[in-house]
Amino acid sequence: MGRKIIMSADPAVEARKKVLHNYFEKVVDKLGYKFTPDTALVEFCLEQEVKLEQKHGSPFCPCQALIGNREHDMKIVCPCIPFHRKHYDAMKRCWCGLFVHKDVTYPDKLMQIPPDEIK
Amino acid sequence: MKKVTLYALSTCPWCMKTKQFFKDNKVVFDFTDYDLAEEEEQQRIMSEMEKHGSNGSFPFIIIGNEVIVGYNPEKIAKALGLKK
Repeated sequence: MGRKIIMSADPAVEARKKVLHNYFEKVVDKLGYKFTPDTALVEFCLEQEVKLEQKHGSPFCPCQALIGNREHDMKIVCPCIPFHRKHYDAMKRCWCGLFVHKDVTYPDKLMQIPPDEIK
Repeated sequence: MKKVTLYALSTCPWCMKTKQFFKDNKVVFDFTDYDLAEEEEQQRIMSEMEKHGSNGSFPFIIIGNEVIVGYNPEKIAKALGLKK
């Protein structure tokens, strides 16, 4: 993405990012996904998720809104692929782009497509 | 010039890219970071997004009468009438 890799100055945030990374890697592998090859995006999204977890209790998607409705909000806890399977499979990525289909090498060409535009 | 409004999240990299796209193309735009807004403003934004069938995915862009959900430079440029 042409973005510099952002490392948090907070060692606790960095440590939590590593824990989430290891956990997510195992979960999304079984779902047919992997981390995007865009390492700057991975670092940035994980950083945001750790901060969201510190603030709201769970590592929510950084690109979807918390609306205060538990049923809705729990469906955007990362990795939220199982709740949006048809939508994400069509895009070959999740909404924030942290994960892509295993066969994706160049994620830059994958666009965000709203669910109502998915055929 | 069409009115341009962006609803964003301060945590969202694609919202940042959208803001940068507007700046790079010298597009005047209003924006609100939903997650940093007061509760009343959040409810107003979500209500407006829901009217357009959005479930809370960002960025949410309004260009004139056209709504674009997600960062898609081609769609944004087309809606703005920007020359390539």
